[in-house]
Amino acid sequence: MTDDIAYWFSYLTNGKHLTWYASFQFTVLAALMGGALAVFFGLLGATLKNSRFLPLRLIGTIYSSIVRGVPDVLFFLFFPLAFEQGVEWLVASQICTPEAIAAQTAAWPPCKEANWFLGTTEYLILASVSLGLVYGAFATNVIHGALRSVPAGQLEAARAFGMSPGQVLWRIHIRQMWVYALPGLSNVWMLIVKATSLLSLLQIADIVLWADRLGAPNFLPAVGLVHEDWRWRYYLVLFVFYILVTWLSERAFEAIMRRAGKGILSEARV
Amino acid sequence: MQPFLNDLALMSQAVLFNIYFAAASIPIGFVLAVFLALGKASPNLIINRLSRGYIYAFRGSPLFIQFFMFYSLALSLNLAVWKPLGISGFVLHPLFIGPLVLVLNTAAYTGEIFYGALRAVPRGEVEAARAYGMSRSQQFRRVTWPNLIRLAWPAYTNEVVFLFHATAIVYFALPVVGAQADLMITAKTLFERDYNAFLHFSVAALYFLAVSLVVFFLFGLVYQRLMRHMPAPPRMRFRPKWMR
Repeated sequence: MTDDIAYWFSYLTNGKHLTWYASFQFTVLAALMGGALAVFFGLLGATLKNSRFLPLRLIGTIYSSIVRGVPDVLFFLFFPLAFEQGVEWLVASQICTPEAIAAQTAAWPPCKEANWFLGTTEYLILASVSLGLVYGAFATNVIHGALRSVPAGQLEAARAFGMSPGQVLWRIHIRQMWVYALPGLSNVWMLIVKATSLLSLLQIADIVLWADRLGAPNFLPAVGLVHEDWRWRYYLVLFVFYILVTWLSERAFEAIMRRAGKGILSEARV
Repeated sequence: MQPFLNDLALMSQAVLFNIYFAAASIPIGFVLAVFLALGKASPNLIINRLSRGYIYAFRGSPLFIQFFMFYSLALSLNLAVWKPLGISGFVLHPLFIGPLVLVLNTAAYTGEIFYGALRAVPRGEVEAARAYGMSRSQQFRRVTWPNLIRLAWPAYTNEVVFLFHATAIVYFALPVVGAQADLMITAKTLFERDYNAFLHFSVAALYFLAVSLVVFFLFGLVYQRLMRHMPAPPRMRFRPKWMR
């Protein structure tokens, strides 16, 4: 019995498993950064959508409708690739000599010196930004709706106090908006959490990739425990992990909503 | 211009796979969802808990993980179950297991939508039906269901479009068999050939947008038909406000 426990404990704490546990940091980091950026882009998009100037309003509307009309995976893959190519193109226009361009045989980059190697950190940042951009479009709609739900009397009172439009927006409008936006933002957060499972598509050795490696059948005793295909067990662990994260997020948002709804008439709270 | 048209032609084959995945899973998911919604509203404790748990689990976890989980589960059962039955080629084929997982996933999301609609069905109408002496099944067919589907239809339209978008990750989790590639895989292969991200991904995005718009249009027609007894909503008028 104790031998069994010690045996499984040593299996579950071998180097590969420890790397797997460590890779959860990528998921958590991407979710947190993506969430913060989504709120940022959401605020930006909603402000653009509310703008008095038509082209800005159009940008806000087009941003939120196009990005929501396209699968998140597509944008998630496209944005980092496009950003990398954009930077490489900029660099190439500065440093590439005609000889280097002539010597280049591959289709991209224009010359070898312009090649930008992306490691895990860079990909993680790019992944978070694209998560933020994609779900910022959803947050734009949520925040746009919430900005409209703020009672007009509050804004009138602020104007009556002599606040400038910018002051009204930043001191009153955006701060009063959160209570109305929180239910929608909690939905966006759940979407972001679920989208973090896609990190492995961007060459990040995340929890999904490690679950695949650890569960793959092993027939060489020298490599470790000999076992058949155990991938479904590892994926089951991830399945449960995500359900737990969802449950925790729900509890957290409930607590935040209770706190944010303090002193506000109960009809505002959902 | 020519590369763009080439891409359009190439991906017109690929989009059929996305449409197949969505079209195969939506009807079955719809039926399952009705039962899940009724189960979640059921007073029977076991049925209630089971439907609740199912909906929570499948809405609370990523579709990507669900694909991996069910595919690897099917793989590990291959030697013991599918091979002896002689159906391993069928069960492990992405064209079967893809819609299977999508059905399980969309049933949970749609079930939640239908459950919400079920709770919003006017109480008075159900009471009136009971006062008329209708049986349980008559109540459901004549009062509850027509109300439910009208309430749920706009949200269900969104869910169908999301499901169509979700078909983009099918082949990232499942193996691509021969030339059976969907939009994302086609775009990615084309990208790896000439590194033109802007062209290939934009064309794929165009296809996704186009099909989404068609879905919105068709489901809008159905919604109009469902709501034909109601006064028509005011017509849209083109009255642009350039400066507010």
